Amino acid sequence: MTGVLDRPTAPPRPSPRTRATRVEFVANDVVPLRGATSEPDDAEVGRRFVAGDEAALALAYQRWSGQVHGMAVRAFGPGPDAEDVTQQVFLSAWTGRAGYRPEAGPLPAWLVGVCRHKIADTWAKRDRQRRLTEAAAAEAGSRPAPSARPLDTAVADRVLLLDELDRIDQPQRGIIELAFFEDLTHAQIAVRTGLPLGTVKSHIRRTLERLRSRLEVDGAAALHA
Amino acid sequence: MPQHCTPEDLSLAALGEPLSPDDAAHLSGCTACTAEVAGLRRSVEALAIPEFAAPGAPVAPPAHVWAAIAAATGIEAASEAPSAAPAAAPEPAAPLAEVRQLRPRRSRLLLAAAAAGVVGIGIGAAAVALGDRDDDGSTVALASAELDPLGGNDASGQAEVVERPDGSRVLRLELDADAPDEGYLEVWLIDSDVVGMVPVGVVSAGTEELVLPPDIDVGQFPIVDVSVEPLDGDPTHSGVSIARGQLA
Repeated sequence: MTGVLDRPTAPPRPSPRTRATRVEFVANDVVPLRGATSEPDDAEVGRRFVAGDEAALALAYQRWSGQVHGMAVRAFGPGPDAEDVTQQVFLSAWTGRAGYRPEAGPLPAWLVGVCRHKIADTWAKRDRQRRLTEAAAAEAGSRPAPSARPLDTAVADRVLLLDELDRIDQPQRGIIELAFFEDLTHAQIAVRTGLPLGTVKSHIRRTLERLRSRLEVDGAAALHA
Repeated sequence: MPQHCTPEDLSLAALGEPLSPDDAAHLSGCTACTAEVAGLRRSVEALAIPEFAAPGAPVAPPAHVWAAIAAATGIEAASEAPSAAPAAAPEPAAPLAEVRQLRPRRSRLLLAAAAAGVVGIGIGAAAVALGDRDDDGSTVALASAELDPLGGNDASGQAEVVERPDGSRVLRLELDADAPDEGYLEVWLIDSDVVGMVPVGVVSAGTEELVLPPDIDVGQFPIVDVSVEPLDGDPTHSGVSIARGQLA
């Protein structure tokens, strides 16, 4: 284009990665709720959070509690259950902050992941209580035997599968999360991450196989024994 | 006996993506492939649920949640309670009606896009404000983009959104690219999250003008993308982009 004339020699085009489009890897997109512009950026908050800076916990809460609480409210409706989940997410993220690895993704994505665990744990706890109640009722002869109502395998599967997801490295983990949690097709994931289509497909394949194996080995029945 | 579907395609089927007509026909009659999909689908059904979707609309927790966190961590002295948490919810439901729905199961995706897809609107407004009338007064340039190569290609070019005297808008494209070995080149307008996209036409190298859908908000779909599309009858983006740029 025009710039070529100004330069003595046109250097080979270095295929710049500085386009405004987002082709970089995105583990999980969380809408950041930004405060004043002079505040530390999200990455800086993440670094200070890991380092144990208490102000970073407040900042993280300020920016991302809305995302976390929004998820909790979608799972449990507004009220004490959702509030309890939100509180647990930030408390357990803070005490377990050593487990956050900035290179694996932004802090809000990690918080959202913690929130999924808390939601799944709460569902599993409720399911256990429900079955205990029903067993007691059956014992008293007022209800059909509990075996008439099978345990909710999906509830137990979720706890197990979220645990397995945590063990998967990037970029496989980010890819499957985009498919599961952002409902993207493999082609959209390729566009979003800039990875070749074939790579995305084979990562998806391997991850789904891995999750299936985990279910086969530690599936719902074993977990609820 | 027709050939079995590839393991990769069966995984995509487990995720709910449509298969090619041949694969779909095979799958419907093959117990081995069907069982494979069912086995892979169990984890999809457990995890791909609306409650786990992100990003979603934020909800500010009540103040006592922070108070409890601060008390439990003993940090109330170190920082004042965060100001009534994020009221800055993303503007809800930016009109998405003009986004062509990509897949039958995309409803959750569209919701997420509604929550996240507000970035481009300001750009659109700015582009309109900056609009320059051509010297002859007949057309108005609303926005333009430099297209840079993507994925090891050396395609490049320029794109310009131009308003004609009758009010219609066209994407004027100057594309420097080799013809693909197979398939054809298609141009898309994509939103800032690279989720929603609108196809605007088939092109070849050189200068072309593509008429834009009358109601499209180019601020909402500010990314101009050129892809190589195989002739497979699948109307969605192949994922193989060769050049891209952002309208401004």
